[in-house]
Amino acid sequence: MPSSDPLPPKEAALFRKLLKCYEMKQYKNGLKLAKQILSNPKFTEHGETLAMKGLTLNGLGRREEAYKYVRMGLRNDLRSHVCWHVYGLLQRSDKKYDEAIKCYRNALKWEKDNLQILKDLSLLQIQMRDLEGYKETRHHLFTLRPSQHASWTGFAMSYHLLGEHMMANNILETFSQSQTSIEAHDYRQSELLLYQNQILIEAHQLQQALDHLLKFEPQIVDKLAVRETLGDLYIKLKQEDKAVPIYESLIQRNPENVLYYKQYMTARRVSSPSDIVAVYREFQQQYPRALCPRRLPLDIASGDEFRVVADEYLRRGLRKGIPPLFVNVRSLHQQPEKANIIESLTLQYFENLTRSGHFSREDADAGVPVEPASALVWTALFLAQHYDYMRDTNRALEYINVAIDHTPTLIELLITKGRIFKHAGDAVEAYVWLEEAQSMDTADRYINSKCAKYMLRANMISEAEDICAKFTREGVSAMDNLNEMQCMWFQTECALAFQRMGRWGEALKKCHEVDRHFAEIIEDQFDFHTYCMRKMTLRAYVGLLRLEDVLRRHPFYFKAAKCGIEVYMRLYDKPLKSEATIEEIDIENLPPSELKKLRSKQRKAKKKAELESAQAAQAQVKREQHQKSKQQANQETDPDAPQLDELIPEKLERTDEPLEKAIEFLKPLQQFAKERIETHLLAFEVYYRKNKLLLMLQSILRARAVNPEHPVLHSCIIRFMKALANAKKSEPFNEHVQQVLDKATKELIGTKTPQQLNDEFIAKHHATSILHLYEGVRGLYELDPSKKQTAIKLITSFNLSKMRLEEAVQVYTALRDGDIFGECEKEADEYKLLCQQRFQYARIFRNVEELEAQLQEKEAAKLRAEEEQQQLNHLDSNEVSVTSTPASIAAAS
Amino acid sequence: MNIRCAKPEDLMTMQHCNLLCLPENYQMKYYFYHGLTWPQLSYVAEDDKGNIVGYVLAKMEEPEPGEESKHGHITSLAVKRSYRRLGLAQKLMNQASQAMVECFNAQYVSLHVRKSNRAALNLYTNSLKFKIIEVEPKYYADGEDAYAMRRDLRELAEDDGKPKSKDGGDEVSAHDHSKHSHRGAHNHSGHDGHCC
Repeated sequence: MPSSDPLPPKEAALFRKLLKCYEMKQYKNGLKLAKQILSNPKFTEHGETLAMKGLTLNGLGRREEAYKYVRMGLRNDLRSHVCWHVYGLLQRSDKKYDEAIKCYRNALKWEKDNLQILKDLSLLQIQMRDLEGYKETRHHLFTLRPSQHASWTGFAMSYHLLGEHMMANNILETFSQSQTSIEAHDYRQSELLLYQNQILIEAHQLQQALDHLLKFEPQIVDKLAVRETLGDLYIKLKQEDKAVPIYESLIQRNPENVLYYKQYMTARRVSSPSDIVAVYREFQQQYPRALCPRRLPLDIASGDEFRVVADEYLRRGLRKGIPPLFVNVRSLHQQPEKANIIESLTLQYFENLTRSGHFSREDADAGVPVEPASALVWTALFLAQHYDYMRDTNRALEYINVAIDHTPTLIELLITKGRIFKHAGDAVEAYVWLEEAQSMDTADRYINSKCAKYMLRANMISEAEDICAKFTREGVSAMDNLNEMQCMWFQTECALAFQRMGRWGEALKKCHEVDRHFAEIIEDQFDFHTYCMRKMTLRAYVGLLRLEDVLRRHPFYFKAAKCGIEVYMRLYDKPLKSEATIEEIDIENLPPSELKKLRSKQRKAKKKAELESAQAAQAQVKREQHQKSKQQANQETDPDAPQLDELIPEKLERTDEPLEKAIEFLKPLQQFAKERIETHLLAFEVYYRKNKLLLMLQSILRARAVNPEHPVLHSCIIRFMKALANAKKSEPFNEHVQQVLDKATKELIGTKTPQQLNDEFIAKHHATSILHLYEGVRGLYELDPSKKQTAIKLITSFNLSKMRLEEAVQVYTALRDGDIFGECEKEADEYKLLCQQRFQYARIFRNVEELEAQLQEKEAAKLRAEEEQQQLNHLDSNEVSVTSTPASIAAAS
Repeated sequence: MNIRCAKPEDLMTMQHCNLLCLPENYQMKYYFYHGLTWPQLSYVAEDDKGNIVGYVLAKMEEPEPGEESKHGHITSLAVKRSYRRLGLAQKLMNQASQAMVECFNAQYVSLHVRKSNRAALNLYTNSLKFKIIEVEPKYYADGEDAYAMRRDLRELAEDDGKPKSKDGGDEVSAHDHSKHSHRGAHNHSGHDGHCC
């Protein structure tokens, strides 16, 4: 490759050495060589050397200097492909892929057939999903190097990704015909054949795919893929007879695959429920240890037949003592008929086991041997879980207590008791039970994780971190380690806890950390573009590309993004005061008792803040040390990873543009989570605050397409109409906008006024759906604040016995906070009392004093128990320490 | 319960399950590395809503000195506590082992397990016919020793797809591996951990 500014032989040799050093990552030597060239007065300005000096500096992590020298080099030699390539490499290492692509394109202007540049360009294009560009580059590479395997596969892949399946297939077909010798067990060849087969199937060329597969079957080592694909193709091509033995062999290989059974039934054309159950019975005989043939009939059977199969299934599970028995039938509870049968069966077991040790009276009469004693415990556990699912807290507790009295050391029982309290609205009592369970098996991280989660639900963040620290690496804070390990469940639960506590900045920090994990995971694919071509695992590679395309569709992202959006909106609605003004609360008008409370609160807060800042300072030091050691470690492996801004809670919560930040979280949801109505309802809330009428309308229409009956949709429409009326008053719309708005309004509410619409909505739902009524009443107050009393009366008189806990909480918090129906402290207190009677375990409806007294009592009991324990240990220090302190059990019951 | 080969879109949920259940954790890239190098070897168990409740993450290793062919290795195996005693760990292991033989001609499969993990040890020795090869002192980040174990897979090769060993109502399976780390995960004496 001729340089545009060639060096004489001696310097040219040095320059080649410089390139070599860069490749070998010998950056310091490289710098010396660059210096040698540049110190010659004739070449101080030599562009390519300056650029390479810059790139070498980048390898040493000196980014700013790197940019300086690379740019200087490029300015001195704009016609050099080397300078452009180097600039591209620098931008790429800085993750500025779009910029890097431009650089490579410039480089190719001066050196159009440079293989290395073309390969680098193709990687960036696939990373950025510039599929057309990728196809062109792969084509170019193909024409330059038609003898290389990778040229063919890359070329074919570029067409496949564009959806041009037949072209992709033709390329692979031509390639495979040119192949002469095939080894006996050639994994790469096998993968390539299966990739081609996948392309044919995606092109709906099923017969061709079948022929292809049959022809090449002997060369394919992935026997499972062959059989699964053959079976499916035979069914789709209506050759069911041929599919039957294939699925028989697949079931033999893996009797726990649900799909195999479904396909088998299809292939054998078994369709009536009784026939299907009969076939499953055959499989039960054939594979007595398999789970599927026993569990799947429960989905299919109904009525008396269901009773029979459920009876067999439950007895077996209870006799053997299988802890997941309930979770495996939980999905059946969505059908009330089946839930009833399960309930009556297990109640009957419980009664008979208690009386005679048998599952039924018939068993007892027939003189069947008694069941193992543990069957009663498992039955009680099952019933507790069943009633918990039904949200019948009292009965659930009744059965779980029977079980615990029987076997106090069974951890599963304690976990279930905790879960019952969680569902009943008492996060504190729930965590106490989980902590107890955790202490009984400290080597199990699963129970440790659950305990941490329950603590976070009770807003006990530092306690949760301490618990997690038992399993995180020593020497690093658990928070940092969990972040490093991309532990998203923990970070999201932390974010939600901070949000509940109004610690907005910290909540945002956690949400952004999760977002950054997703960015990193998208980044992760880069190395696999070349890697998979080499390994020929092309099916998995296409799967990866398709996954990364929609990565932020993942529920983990949704949860964190939703929290982020809500917090940013809250910060927009009620911006934080500067820290100085918080102190100046109007104390003159406070009654003495309140003043005293306030003072003590302030003192406590101050103390807490001091403690926290001391801890934070310590943590900061640790973090810095950790960062340093990490940077040192990274020096060799990954010099390029750009440093991200540190996430500082105080800065995050005092952003000047909260809504813009919310939109950053919202965009991926709108793109990837369209099917979730919450996405569009959140979008509405953001655009409502921005007063963007067309975007509000768009969100409403999208939400309506998902579920036109969703209660919140009504409130969106009412608020949209109100915003529209206000906007009309201020200035006339542009003609086109007016048209769109008129058409949409007509479609949404016809000729009615918002008031009429709202009245009709209330009339329709006031007795049947609290969530709809809530939105209707909200509209009532929104449209006419003088109707406040009517609104409150309506919402508080809805029959509480028909409401679920979450619904009552929603109504109560709205009344308490006064931001939906206006200030109404008295009504809120009255409503709270009613809720307390209906949901006696829910902490939110109980009195603070009562709760505090309870907590104190609990701590005292714990202390007493610990003292007793110590005395006990004293008495017999040789005894293995009893891990299951009955402290919190005693206190709680 | 449904057991099937893991797909790329399962890898994130497998990482989630790993973080819940085991002390040895890896960044996503390491899961991708497994899923994209040996797509046939990792399996998941899911509940009837499609949540992943257990997984086996497996790979191939180059032949040890003196050996002719490659062998399989279990990087990580976990089943959520709430789904134990169903024999899932054993079923997952059998599927992965079968694929190791078919796709990569594995002669045996190896793994490491904490010396203190009696439940897992029981599963490997009694239900899956693993044998202890040696003790690797201080294998784990917290200083605990590991048993290096192996299971001969030749019977599977002859057998053509019939997992022979009977599945008893096995115990828990949670187990090991901090050998590999990606970018400063669990730094460990072990080698590799790098793809590409």
